[in-house]
Formats: sequence, C-alpha cells, structure tokens
Amino acid sequence: MRVRLRFLVGAGLIVAAITYLIVAGIQSTSEYYLTVNEVSGRRAALTGQALRIAGRVKPGTISWDPRTLTLKFAIMPPPPQGKAGVTPVTQADPATVPSFRVICKGEPKPDMFAANRDVIVQGTLGSDGVITATQVLTKCPSKYQPSKGS
Amino acid sequence: MPNLGELALAVALLLAIYSILANLYGARNNRADVLQSARHALWAMTAMVALAAISLWVGLLTSDFSLAYVAEHSSRSLPAFYKFTALWGGQEGSMLFWTLLLSLFTSIAAYQNRTRNPEIAPYALSVLAAVAVFFLGMLNFVTPPFLLLAHRPPDGSDLNPLLQNYWMAIHPPSLYTGYVSTTVPFAFGAAALITGKLDDTWIRTTRRWAIFSWFFLTLGNLFGARWAYEVLGWGGYWAWDPVENAALMPWLVMTAYLHSVMIQERKDMLKVWNLALIGLAFALTLFGTFITRSGVISSVHSFTQSGLGPYFLSFVIGVVVVYTALLIYRVPDLRSPAELESYLSREAAFLFNNLILVGIAFAVFWGTIFPILSEAVRGVKITVGPPFFDQVNGPLALALIFLMGVGPLIAWRRMTVKNLLRAFAAPAVLGVATGVALFALVGLRQWYVLTAGSLVGFVAGTILAEFRRGVVARRHIVNETVPRAVANLISKNNRRYGGYIIHIGVLIAFVGIIGSSFFKTQVKQTVKQGQSFAVGPYQIKYLGLTTADTPHMASATARIEVLENGREIALMNPARVFYKAPQQPATQVAIHSTPLNDLYVVLAGIDDGGRVTFQVFLTPLVLWLWAGGLVMALGTVIAMWPNVRERAAIAQALKAQRGEDQELAADIARGVD
Repeated sequence: MRVRLRFLVGAGLIVAAITYLIVAGIQSTSEYYLTVNEVSGRRAALTGQALRIAGRVKPGTISWDPRTLTLKFAIMPPPPQGKAGVTPVTQADPATVPSFRVICKGEPKPDMFAANRDVIVQGTLGSDGVITATQVLTKCPSKYQPSKGS
Repeated sequence: MPNLGELALAVALLLAIYSILANLYGARNNRADVLQSARHALWAMTAMVALAAISLWVGLLTSDFSLAYVAEHSSRSLPAFYKFTALWGGQEGSMLFWTLLLSLFTSIAAYQNRTRNPEIAPYALSVLAAVAVFFLGMLNFVTPPFLLLAHRPPDGSDLNPLLQNYWMAIHPPSLYTGYVSTTVPFAFGAAALITGKLDDTWIRTTRRWAIFSWFFLTLGNLFGARWAYEVLGWGGYWAWDPVENAALMPWLVMTAYLHSVMIQERKDMLKVWNLALIGLAFALTLFGTFITRSGVISSVHSFTQSGLGPYFLSFVIGVVVVYTALLIYRVPDLRSPAELESYLSREAAFLFNNLILVGIAFAVFWGTIFPILSEAVRGVKITVGPPFFDQVNGPLALALIFLMGVGPLIAWRRMTVKNLLRAFAAPAVLGVATGVALFALVGLRQWYVLTAGSLVGFVAGTILAEFRRGVVARRHIVNETVPRAVANLISKNNRRYGGYIIHIGVLIAFVGIIGSSFFKTQVKQTVKQGQSFAVGPYQIKYLGLTTADTPHMASATARIEVLENGREIALMNPARVFYKAPQQPATQVAIHSTPLNDLYVVLAGIDDGGRVTFQVFLTPLVLWLWAGGLVMALGTVIAMWPNVRERAAIAQALKAQRGEDQELAADIARGVD
C-alpha cells in the first residue's frame, strides 16, 4: 500500500505540474477575441491591448503597396447572419456601421484577402482608433459563392 | 446516377440498422445463422456506400453541374486528378468518404471475426454498425451529397485553389483513415465492457488496427504540416490552429494507448486506463470533426458552417456518457491483481509517459476550447495562440523525450540502482557530450535547445545500446556479420525493434522541430530585374518575370538564381497564380531544401514599375522533420509486419484446433507475440 501511495504522489506531482503550465500559459498569452461591434463599444478600455478582432473587409477601403508590403483597409462588422451558412448579400448602410482602420506592414497580402471577406486581425488598437496589425488572417471557405462583382 | 446514389445511401442506412439488431439478437440467442446474416448486411451496406461514392465520383468526373456538390467543388477546367480528390474537398463529400472508410473497415473487421471471438465480436460489430448509422443518418437527412440544383449552371465554381495540391490529395485520406480506424479498437473495447469479457482479448484482436490507425494519424499530421508549409506561404508548418489540434489530439492519445496496452499484455495492469484511452481517442476523432464543422471555434480553416455541429456534439456527448457509465459499472471487475512495485521499473516509465501524453492532449484541448469556456464563464472570448501551446508543451516534450530513452532500457518490475547506472552510463555520457558540443562548438546558448540536444544524445545512446546488446547477443550464438545480425534482430523481433525505429524517427523529427522553431530568420526585399540580395549564406539574384495564361489559371512566375560562395546552387520559381473560375489569387512558394536548412521564397508583391518584393525565410533543419516522419512510418510498418514466429504460432494453433484441442489452440493464440 505504501508503494501505491508513492505512485499516487508521483502521478499527482505530474498532474500538478501540467496544471501549473496550463494556468501560467493562459495567463501570460491570452488575448481578447472580439468582434468589431464589441471593440467599438469598449474602445477606451481596449486601447493598447493585444487583441484579435473578427470582422469583414469594408469595400472600397483597400490599399496595397507591394513594395513596402503595406496593407491598409477598414474592418466592419459582418451583416447579421441569415440562415445557417448563408450570408445575405445585402449591405448595411456604410455610413452607420462602426469601422476601424487597419494597417499591417511587412507581411504579404493574404491570398484570400478581398472586399467583403471575413478576416481576423491580430494587433493592438491605438488611441487614434487605428489598429496596427501584426497579422491579418483570412477565413478560407471550402465552398465558393459564385463571384458577383467582387 | 444521382438518384442511384441517394437510394444507395437510404438502403445502406436500413442495412446498418438491421445489422445492429441481428448482431444483438444472434449473440443473445446463440444463432449462428442470424449472426451470418448480420455480417452479410454489413457487407451489403459497404457495397451500397461504395455505390454512392462511385456515383458522386462519376458526377465529378463528368462535370454534372446539376449536382450542387459538383457545381460547388469543381469546374470544367479542373484537372481530372483534382476532380477525383474533390470527393473530400467539401463537407458532404467528406462525410460520404468518411462513411465509405468506416463501412470498409467494419466489413474487414466482420470478416476477420467471422469465427474468432464469438463472445465479443457480434457486440463490436453492433457498435461499428451503430456508428455507421449515425454517419448514414447525417448523409441521408442533414448533409445530403446528391442535392440537385434547380438551374444547372454552365460551369462549376471550382475547387478551393488551396486544395489543388498533391499533398492535399493525400492528406485528408490519410487523416480520415487514421480517424476512422480508431473506431475498430473502440468498438471491441466497448464490446468487452458490454459483455463483461474483460480480459485482453479485445486488445490483442485489435492491436494491428490500433497500430494501423496510429500509422495513418502520423502520416495525416505529417502530410497536413507539409501541405501547410508548401501551400500557405507563411514559412511555417504548424500554427496550433484548432483544425491542426483536432488532428493532433487523437494521435497523442493513441500513442499513449499503444504504450499502455503493453503493460496490460505483460502485467495485466491498467485495464481501466486502457479502456478509457481508447474511448477518449474515439471521442476525440468525433470532437475534431465537430469543432471544424460547427464554427463554434474560429479557425483559419473555417469550413462551411452547417447544421452538422449540434448533431456531432450530441453524438460525442452520447458516446462519452454511455461509455463512461459502462466503464464505471465494470470497474469492480477490472481490478488488477498486480501492483506497481518501484519507480525504477518499466511500468513506472510507461505510466509517466502516458500521463504526459494525455497531459499534452489535455493542454491542447484546453487551449483549443478556451475561447468557448471563457465566454461561458466570464462573458468575453479570450483566445490563446501559438505562444500558449509552445510554452506548455515545450517542457512536456522534453520530459516525454527523456522517458522515451528510459522506458525501453529499464527492466520490468524493479531495477537495482547498480544495474541502472550500468545501463545508463554510456547514454548519459553521450547526452552530456552532445550538450557540451552544442554549447562550445556550435555556440548555442538557449537553455531549452541545449537541454533538448542533450536529451536527444542521451536517447539516441539508449537506442544504440539496445541495438548493440541485441547484436552482441546474436553474434554470441550464431556466427554472422554485424549488418546481418541487425537485419535478423529486426525481422525476428519486429514489434520491439520497429518500436525503436519509430523512436529514432521521433528523435530526428524533434531535431527538425527544434531547429526550425528556434533559428528561423526572414528577409524582405524589393528588387529590380538583375539585382540581388543576401539571405544568410546565400545570394539571391532576380532574373525576371514570366507570365502564362491558360483557361484554368493565369500566373506570374519570378525566376531567381541562388548563389552560395559565388557558385550557382539552384534556380527557383516562386509564383503568383490567379484561378479564374473562383476569381482567386494564390501564392506558389519555391523551396530549396538541404539537410542543413530550407530556403523558402515567397513572391510577395509585384508593382507596376517592374519591381518585385520577395519574402525569404531561412529555416534550419526542416528536412529533418519530414525525414523523421518517414522513419516513424517505416518503423510502424516493421512493427505491424506479421513475423515468422507469430505465423508459426498461428499455424500450430490451427493444427491444434483441427485436432479438437480447443484449449491448447486458445493458449497458443494467446501466446502470440
């Protein structure tokens, strides 16, 4: 029985060590994952923090400089979801939706990047309301809508 | 054809339901004829699913765009090879492909056990058929692959360009094969729990299935990493994305399982643990499908969201609850007479290796679902990215590598300190020497890299020591040359030495992972034609741009020359491609691999003034990761190979069986490997 106890202690120590690694890891690496609407609601509190922001590329705002690898665009909330899997093509009035300008320097433009595509921007929100991104991830749909005007 | 496919799936569902009932009825009432009919139903079900898959393939290859699936995942100009692979390029097709594999494996298991294991096989086949019922239910009612379009479009919208790559053609089938084949050991484990036949029959019967599954999970992960590396263009191969994690977790748990079943076979211990592990592995394969298909966890690979998520979640929860309840019910019968005796024993090393493997799987699981948890508990979505996984798994990986060296060398039951020192002295010296060499000669200073290097030296030493011991022992008895002795050693004890070869592969891959994670550098440069720039030891010269235009795609390809010490070593062609049907650009990276490092060139931008911008990664030792993966695969094949002794034992068992000596036959069969 004493041997059994010793093993329980050993296993307990390993479990404790793994738990510690997980807790410490979460504390030191976590980032808020927010939508554009959530960011615009809590702008002051979020300034300067590491964020991941999900939104949609606002049409007519994209500028890409292939020489300096500088990508600028604005990110807006996606229109409300309709039936599961189907995104309505109707656009909300661009003047009323909140949007943020995004600047990403030094990374190639993602292949899937285009107007009205869903993206995840990783970066920090400046006091001027501009998001300085370290990475722009595009969601890759496995199914294509026939390209209409994009 | 489409109607035929739809009908075939409906019939397959009915056959699967019939087979569950017939297997249960036949087993309860000892009716061999009913059990035979149940097996026939499973074979017929497989034929029906195959028929459905063939009709979808025919639709894809003949560009029948009246089928929604064909119109959405292929186009006229898509090469035939990718039309074929488009079967698993989208959700409905993936589900059909999964079901096809599941029914094939179920049929094979039914054939293998037509006379063997009469007590548990019918129940295992019922479990397999029940899983098939779930998937066929999805195909019939939730994600039907044969939906027709009201208006037949003139052309399809093409397969996602990222999937038009040969790695993508072999990665999903490998991974799916690995995923789906865990169902067979799971079904036999569940059958053992249902029937109360709790000896290790279920493990022995499905040992090859488990290794087979592990083999394909290994390849699936490896091919997936290779695809990400070649296609995604960010210079890495692993990003801890939920989809990747979903493929890694079953692999980790199956690795733990393959080790812990050895303890049960040898020492009759860890019975509950083994049953729990196989249940967990199976649940994780379903969970992986759930998180990738439901959209609850944001992933770069967000597949089409559909109504599939809730069904998968309900199924996973159902499986976990029922299986756990059965396991708890049987715990009193699963108590082991044997006990662990000492920390200095192989059992202990295996136990700790299991804890760490499952711990890594848990950390990956926790990090993956953390956004959902934090939203549920605190109302905010908080994500953890690659730094979390690196930070947690880094130290655990070191512990695991260490145990990989200790496990095989340490004796069963108990080892004296004196024997321990004798066995580990030489490997320990090799380990320290490796660390010192990395510090003094290579000039490395990161503590993690130095520790990892020392451990690799130590573990390599233990494996070499094992081979040396075996060779010396053989040459003591038979007079043979060293290479012949090594070959005989492996072929005569293929399970053991196959395992060591897998360990060598793990070490090689680990070296690759360390090198590529810690020492990657990148350069971005805009150049005009004829200009050159330096990347590490290389000089890169931009020679010019070539454009091409086909009905399927348009492309711009940069020609670059790579020089080392003024000597040309390679011509590379990074390109940008534009796929016309989906109106989608894609990057084609160019990679120059050497054992020392990979030169990875991305054509990042082309401006109007004839200038192009390159992003170049110099990543050391990536090749070692792929090489290590292939060595692991080779070792697995060796471990799976039926060996001479085993075949002789089976032949003898059959002879004994013919002589009506059932008892002896059973004993010999149990004694196999």
